Amino acid sequence: MNVEQTTLPKKYHDAVLHWQRHNFPDYGLLPENWQKYFPNDPEFCLCAKMEVGMGDKVEVGDAKGEKRREKPGELGEEPAKHLLAIIRAQASTEFGSIQQHEGTLARAQDDEDRFWVLRVMAEELRHGYQMFHLLVEQDWSGVSGQRAEEMVEEILSMQTGSHVLDAFNLEYDSFVDNVVFAAVIDRVGKYQLSMQRVCSYKPFAASMPPMLREEAVHLAAGVIPMRRWVQRAAQGNALITVSAIQKAFNKWMPRGLEMFGHEKGGESNIRFGFKNMKNAEAQSLYYEECKRMVSDLNQRFIRARLPKLSPEEAEALAERLRNDRSRHEGISHEDMIQLPDRGFFRRKGDAAFTMVGFAGETFTDVEEYVRHLAAHLPEPYLHSRDMKQYVESLRQVAAGTMTTEQAMKKMPALKRVGGMCPCSKSVRWVMEVAEESVPAVRSAN
Amino acid sequence: MNAVAEQIRIRSLTELDVARIVAIDERLTGVYRPEVWERRIMYYLRRDPDACQVAEMGGKVVGFMLSDLRGGEFGLEETSGWVERFGVDPDFQGRSIGRRLFEAVVDHMKRQGATAMRTLVERSDSDLASFLRAVGFEDAPLTALEMRIG
Repeated sequence: MNVEQTTLPKKYHDAVLHWQRHNFPDYGLLPENWQKYFPNDPEFCLCAKMEVGMGDKVEVGDAKGEKRREKPGELGEEPAKHLLAIIRAQASTEFGSIQQHEGTLARAQDDEDRFWVLRVMAEELRHGYQMFHLLVEQDWSGVSGQRAEEMVEEILSMQTGSHVLDAFNLEYDSFVDNVVFAAVIDRVGKYQLSMQRVCSYKPFAASMPPMLREEAVHLAAGVIPMRRWVQRAAQGNALITVSAIQKAFNKWMPRGLEMFGHEKGGESNIRFGFKNMKNAEAQSLYYEECKRMVSDLNQRFIRARLPKLSPEEAEALAERLRNDRSRHEGISHEDMIQLPDRGFFRRKGDAAFTMVGFAGETFTDVEEYVRHLAAHLPEPYLHSRDMKQYVESLRQVAAGTMTTEQAMKKMPALKRVGGMCPCSKSVRWVMEVAEESVPAVRSAN
Repeated sequence: MNAVAEQIRIRSLTELDVARIVAIDERLTGVYRPEVWERRIMYYLRRDPDACQVAEMGGKVVGFMLSDLRGGEFGLEETSGWVERFGVDPDFQGRSIGRRLFEAVVDHMKRQGATAMRTLVERSDSDLASFLRAVGFEDAPLTALEMRIG
């Protein structure tokens, strides 16, 4: 690949590795098993990768045709602040997803699935590292009011529950979440990275192609295990059921849709030349792509049960089962996975707290809607703090004691909320002591 | 450019192309083998998704070409693009889809520093050999050998 690889200055590199030791202890399994699961692939490298040969001209927005910006100061104050928020949010998602994956990684039934996800996690670590490269390579202090160390520390301090985007604040309930998350939430990542290829800030644009190539594997690490699961479910394996996969879709799809931002937004991204699509347009394409994924899974199920059918016949049968809510040769409409309606279980955007049901039906009674959600979401998730907070907000919105806008704003803010490094009373800077080779931990302040 | 060419979209492989590649392979070989293609698609996505191209018409994948950039095999030190698997839906053959897929693969391989394209073809498959010669392949100085051991 035409890629330049660089590593962060030592203190940042060591800080990432220190974070990894606490949040991603399985990382060490990857090099030990690389040749077994990824033979002949280049070995994993914890480094920043910049695509060589990106165009020099801004592709969209007010500055279209001008030279791409290479320093934050060239962007202008408002665009620079906007881009910095995007980079921080991106970094937060990378580290956040590792924390989520780690919790249930060891529960994978199949070692190959586990090592695919492990590779995904390592590459997410690299993507976070890539964002740090962007934050520390140039001076953003005039934009952020913070030193690079403070920005990095802030992101490394986040835990599940304090990340920027809601999708990264939900715990996984089982390994089904690892896989469905990779298929559903990483797909949003693919859209964001694709849109950001045009970015008027050249270092950010040049970061995207290597990340996108890795993201393609992440999506496959979600879709291919799911294809195998539905095949086994069709053949009678009762351990990972279609119902479990369906409920995981219902948990993650609403959060995925919200990751695009409010349906009415995205104008600034285009004006500043950061992305080439508005939120609603990208979200619609994403939803259609997810529909295709589900359609393929349903065909896989039907062909596993009725191998004599052609692909076209299997597709037609899936549609008939869904539309008629019928049965055919032992296959029920309930065996077919369906995407929830775009308004289902939303807490951000146009449909926030509107009580739209799975099939697009509208509820007026809060408790009836809560029962509907309980029937469609994974049971362990119903017991979560996230669900409790959502329902409390929903009841307040319905009672008129809280506006929808207030409820939407009840989200984690990008602030130092994650607490201290678990091994120390201080922060996570790893500094080499001159007299010793053993790293110690000390405050950056 | 004719109307058909305008309708064909060539793009990099994605994980969602598995179902259509399985279907095209089934039409070409008469065998339904999703497990094989799921494994192979994961392999090619790991290697380089841009080295593999698919052709879409009306949003439907109608052809694919899977290739890989390698160097050092068989004493061939130069970096080479290996075309390993490809297929075009029989309903869409005769529309230069294979050629367009090949051109897209070659463009990518050149950008990655390849100086040669290589492939292997069964002697009995004269249609395939004709296609490969038509896009520019010639006899190579290497001979493929094999020995059955099981």
